[in-house]
Amino acid sequence: MKRRLALRLLAWVASIMLVHAAAFFMLRSTRGGPFDQSRALDPVVMQALQQRYGLDDPPALQYLHAVQGLLHGDFGPSLRYRDTQVSTLLAEAFPVSLLLGSGALLLALLFGIPAGLHVARRRHQNRHSALPLCGTVFLSLPNFAIAAALLVLFSFHSFHLPPAGWGQLRYLLLPWLSLSIPLAAQIMFLVRSRAEEAYQSLAVRQAMAAGLSPRHIRRHYILRPSLSTVCAFLGPAAAAVLTGSLVIEQIFALPGLGTFFVQAALARDYTLALGVTVVYTALLGFCTLLADIATSLLDPRMEALS
Amino acid sequence: MKSWPSRCAWGFLLLLAVLAFAAPYLPIADYRAMHTDSRLLPPQWIHAPFLGTDAHGRDLLARMLWGSRISLAIGLFGSCIAMLLGVPFGLWAGFSGGRWDRLLMRLADALESIPMVVFVLFLLSILQEYRAEMAALGFGRLHLFYFAVGVLFWIPTARVARAEALRLKSQAFVQAGLAQGLSQTSLMRRHLLPNMLPTLKVMLLLTVPRVILMEAFLSFLGLGVEPPAVSWGSLASEGLAALSPLVHAQWLVFLPSGAIACTLIALQVAVQEKRKH
Repeated sequence: MKRRLALRLLAWVASIMLVHAAAFFMLRSTRGGPFDQSRALDPVVMQALQQRYGLDDPPALQYLHAVQGLLHGDFGPSLRYRDTQVSTLLAEAFPVSLLLGSGALLLALLFGIPAGLHVARRRHQNRHSALPLCGTVFLSLPNFAIAAALLVLFSFHSFHLPPAGWGQLRYLLLPWLSLSIPLAAQIMFLVRSRAEEAYQSLAVRQAMAAGLSPRHIRRHYILRPSLSTVCAFLGPAAAAVLTGSLVIEQIFALPGLGTFFVQAALARDYTLALGVTVVYTALLGFCTLLADIATSLLDPRMEALS
Repeated sequence: MKSWPSRCAWGFLLLLAVLAFAAPYLPIADYRAMHTDSRLLPPQWIHAPFLGTDAHGRDLLARMLWGSRISLAIGLFGSCIAMLLGVPFGLWAGFSGGRWDRLLMRLADALESIPMVVFVLFLLSILQEYRAEMAALGFGRLHLFYFAVGVLFWIPTARVARAEALRLKSQAFVQAGLAQGLSQTSLMRRHLLPNMLPTLKVMLLLTVPRVILMEAFLSFLGLGVEPPAVSWGSLASEGLAALSPLVHAQWLVFLPSGAIACTLIALQVAVQEKRKH
């Protein structure tokens, strides 16, 4: 276990370095720059700018500086926001995104797991539950359409929740919901198929024959394998939250990483975009790592296999 | 035997395809023509404009029909590209087995723990710098999009192809082929690939929805189709931009999104029937 953990940690660091290097060299090899304007700059001014941002060093040296900065959590100055370090922007944006993402993930788990178990439990009843149908619809809509529906329902027509901005917890309700609804549907389907499989397993049949209470069976024979499936899904779920947050943060004007990233990518603020990409890589790798550990804790066979 | 839901689903998809093909010949308004005197008309349902008009007075029905062409084409071709990348990869990994298999699959694992969407967006924003050159070479936004889709979605198809290759490898007819001295490539092409086709078809139908949603996502971020052209995703995100507490033009978001949802659900139903067999 320890050796495997160490290996995984190493792979995590390596993936961060690799993404950083790839992004860095892609950046440096592009021709256009943030200082390109419709009118050509005075060469003297251009040179001064390049010097100020360290763009006139040889690429290898620049990369070494960048790696040194990365180790200190320093990504250099933002090219767009004057006199602001990228790390300052990231430090401001990170808590917002973390709160949004973790809350949405939690909500999705809280809705998705019970819903999946419920649907699996009622699989033989003639009257189908409406949950699978809702889930299919939610999974088929682009997430901004769900956000729009929530906006119209809960902000324009009733409850008058704030449609955008950042402040108290009220501001996060709609973003949380719109981010977690498609994810909850996905988790529900996952849990349902795993739980249905478990219901048909010999272990459950044996437990029934032995006269264990249905509640006991549900808790120990159905819930546990379903939970380990959900744990294995946490990595992809984190990726989905991350992708979704790019859109949801824009719609609700939250000052998070996603908003910064999209704006930076569109406005060619390359250092900021690079910083966000690296932070996202670190975050996602960390979630995958956690999911892996949790899975092997819940299901010891996983470890035996690897 | 097909059940009625799957018949309906296939019928719907067929109708959609026919309408998309016939869009230039249908008696509908020009999807680009702006009419400033009839802006933001709500859907009339029984007479023109049937589905209302957008913020520039353009007919939403015509725009949606034209949008269906791009959305469906993107969904289909994008998935095909993802499969073209993923299937040979998975086939090779599964068939050769051993060290290669482990290496290739570890690579896929590693790529999955990187936020590929962010990386692709980063790449697209950098490629924007070279738009003029790429246009000269005949590459447009659409090609970039296909590239992005290929990069994003090849891994799941590779996994499926690998699993299938592993399953088929142990079967008698493959062993017989090996014993006869068939080369690996011809074995893969003549024996493995044809036997994988049903699974690959299902995989294709499962990838199309994800690609269509991806197109909507990229359109929202402004990296989708370029303005005179329309897709369902770009229509819906335009509609979202027009949405405000004062302008109750919800149909502009919900009709295109509804079209996406209906298509995706129809695909889902169609796939479920196929999966059972």
